[in-house]
Amino acid sequence: MKLPRKKLTASVPAFAMGDIGFLLLIFFVILARAQDDSHIQWEPARMDDVKMAASPLATVTIDAGFKTYLDGKEIAPQEIAGRLTEILGDSPAGQRNVFLKVHKQSKATHFEPVIAAISEAGGDLIHILEPEGETNSK
Amino acid sequence: MKFKRGKMLIDPPACASSDIAFTLIIFFLVCAAVQPETGMSQALPKTEEKSEKREQSQNLEVSITPTSIILNGSPLKPDEFATRIAAALKAKSRDTDKIVVVKSAPQTPYPLWLAVSQAIDDAGGILTLELESEKTIQVR
Repeated sequence: MKLPRKKLTASVPAFAMGDIGFLLLIFFVILARAQDDSHIQWEPARMDDVKMAASPLATVTIDAGFKTYLDGKEIAPQEIAGRLTEILGDSPAGQRNVFLKVHKQSKATHFEPVIAAISEAGGDLIHILEPEGETNSK
Repeated sequence: MKFKRGKMLIDPPACASSDIAFTLIIFFLVCAAVQPETGMSQALPKTEEKSEKREQSQNLEVSITPTSIILNGSPLKPDEFATRIAAALKAKSRDTDKIVVVKSAPQTPYPLWLAVSQAIDDAGGILTLELESEKTIQVR
């Protein structure tokens, strides 16, 4: 007489799905933060007439220490034009938005070469400013 | 005779805590992403290098220093500049004549530069930057 072997089931516990999802989310959040520039210390200049800005293809920032960053990574001003040309590629006019975030105490020696570089790459320049009256610093 | 009712334990299921954390993260991510940015767009002609030899042009020239704004050689106060540039550009009909060449002193602050460029934009001018290029020449 043959005894039937008991079948072993190997199922993934369903309550672990939440943890798996959580870890995946953390992974993607860290990946996204690599292009983020929220770690850069800068204060925007203020202006009366500011408008909502459309989403950019690239962001150039000059921080409180007058260092230049492209999409959150430090870059020399003379390298900006070349890198921006690569990023903007063949995007049509009107969709080549480049955000320029300049610390309010910057001088012409800091921001003019950057503006010239954006212009050289054919970017649509948008100065990121704070509406007059608001006080929160970035 | 009275029977004692056993106390009922109401523990939240532990396996749900990760789902709660997941939902909280989504909530904070959405909050962070929604914060809009405000700014001012600026049209700039493409940069090109120009030799020192310049053609005689009818373009307006603006020099900005930390303390003054000079329009075609005459110093103006910042609040005076907007009206003067608007008047000067009103007389120009061709696009090529509406080019305003802006030259800034190295110590010009960003807010002042922005105010000047906005005044030029509002007056219908085409802002062009004049930058001095640096060249290192080795002398033997």
